[in-house]
Amino acid sequence: MTISLPVILAVSAVMFGFGVYGALTLRNAIRILMCVELILNSVNINLVAFSRYLADPAQGQIFTIFVMTVAAAEAAVGLAIILMIARQRSHIDIERINLLKW
Amino acid sequence: MTIVDWFFVIFAAVTLVGAYRVVISEKIMHAALWLGLTFAGVAAIFFLLGADFLAAAQLLIYVGAITTIIIFGIMLSSLEDLRGKFGNTLWQRISAQFSSPRRGAFALIAAGGLVVSLIALILRGSWPSARPEGLAVVDTPSLIGDAMFNRFVIPFEIASVVLLVALIGAIALAAKDEAPAANGEEQPK
Repeated sequence: MTISLPVILAVSAVMFGFGVYGALTLRNAIRILMCVELILNSVNINLVAFSRYLADPAQGQIFTIFVMTVAAAEAAVGLAIILMIARQRSHIDIERINLLKW
Repeated sequence: MTIVDWFFVIFAAVTLVGAYRVVISEKIMHAALWLGLTFAGVAAIFFLLGADFLAAAQLLIYVGAITTIIIFGIMLSSLEDLRGKFGNTLWQRISAQFSSPRRGAFALIAAGGLVVSLIALILRGSWPSARPEGLAVVDTPSLIGDAMFNRFVIPFEIASVVLLVALIGAIALAAKDEAPAANGEEQPK
């Protein structure tokens, strides 16, 4: 097996970039949540790769499990908040949810 | 290139194409399905990196649960988003955003600059050329379980409390307000 560590890191960096670009430009709140999931997944790839190549295998994988836990909590709370907004305003366009903007 | 390397190339390509289509897709439903494919590709990469337990967890949690939840969430989108209003290629989407500087140039510079600088940093770093041998076959579930309940037991407990609080909070947020009052009294107003 000759997959080298920089290749994996580069793949995850490109995936991270797609997630950041989507989170900055998309206007639908659900799609922003999808892009945040992309970002968290690319970080997970990094953690697993480092645990494979550098340290003992358990450490990075446990961090990955914690990231997955937080991602699940984030998806649940985020969708509940979006549900509340959709119920009150009947749209989830973040460009029009600007009550706290100046 | 061994056969594992070819599999890595294939799964990395699947993951990256999926991530690209999540951002670019015109219709939000297509984006959700591409997101599921991306999660499956990440699971395959985990498997190739020897993290078989995490690959299974990724398939169960992300491909199974989170994609389903997001597809439910699509019900909340407006019809305009379901149909899509920008073009379906990267350049069409980028140029459609250029009417506002914050969404056009700033986002492009932020994301592109981040990726370019990250890859430049990765290329400059000195990494171990091959993974240490002797870790070839590892019983990851027992390894993870042992570390989680000995060395990482406090973070584990905190993570479980975080999950519990988040789930209760999500239910409390999403519950309808017009629930009947407690102990059978008259509902106010």
